[in-house]
Amino acid sequence: MIDPLPLLFAQFADKVPGVFFGLPLLALASLIFAATHHEDPAAIGLATVHWAVWLGGILGVVLAAVLLLGWLV
Amino acid sequence: MGRQEAARPRLIAISPDDGAAIDLRNPVLAAALSWLVPGLGQLYQGRTLKGGLFMAALLGTLVVGMWIGAGRVVYASWRPGEPRLAFIGQAGIGAVAIPAVLQSLRLNGPAREPYFAAGLFAPPLATGQLVTPAYAARVSRAEPGFDFFDRPPLAQCQRDQLSAWQRRLGRRFEIGTLYTVLAGMLNVLVVLDALSGPLPAPSRAGAAEKTPAAPAGGPSGRETR
Repeated sequence: MIDPLPLLFAQFADKVPGVFFGLPLLALASLIFAATHHEDPAAIGLATVHWAVWLGGILGVVLAAVLLLGWLV
Repeated sequence: MGRQEAARPRLIAISPDDGAAIDLRNPVLAAALSWLVPGLGQLYQGRTLKGGLFMAALLGTLVVGMWIGAGRVVYASWRPGEPRLAFIGQAGIGAVAIPAVLQSLRLNGPAREPYFAAGLFAPPLATGQLVTPAYAARVSRAEPGFDFFDRPPLAQCQRDQLSAWQRRLGRRFEIGTLYTVLAGMLNVLVVLDALSGPLPAPSRAGAAEKTPAAPAGGPSGRETR
């Protein structure tokens, strides 16, 4: 039986450049979504965090699903 | 002039945060300015913080994307079988969409060379494409090993330039494209913000009972005064 953790870790390490370059885009999208829905600077800041958590969570789940499927198939 | 200005109804939006009125001035002009340069329309409307924020964030991303892609990732091409679909997203920012279209039209037209001799925003050359000897010499200097046949008074491209870019840049080409496409697509939201003020929050089931009635002008909180 092959230990799945090293394989999963290797697959994730292969995606590190994509994650590294993707994080600024996630922050940018969160900022723009927040700023186009609010006018007050404090509200924009709060909404940016809110959007970042949502987008990060959704994309994180997608990445995890891709990794798991890559490992299973 | 002043009387006309006073008589014209002013479009205002309502801030979703504190209910303050936002003067949209001329929303169509503001939207066009924001398309041309992200945030410029908001600056015109006097919303300096948001204008500066959009300008710094989106122009910054665009410039970083172009830097990662060595200035080759933004171009317009509708060659059969090889259309540049990423340009649809990049066209969300007029400051790069306009020069890219002009460069493409001129390079593929009778002039056979782009407006800017350096070839910035110019589409890649296809195998067998004819260009002026001056442009061929510039391309050869910029990309050693990329040669042309002599076809007086023109020069004929020996290889596909897009393949050469992708070989040279590797993943950088894709990452640069992604950055510029995302900047362009997000700028569409900025244009909408300039056109009608802050976008309406997504409605939730049962929220209608708790929230006050939308102001005159529809759910976007837009009204005339």
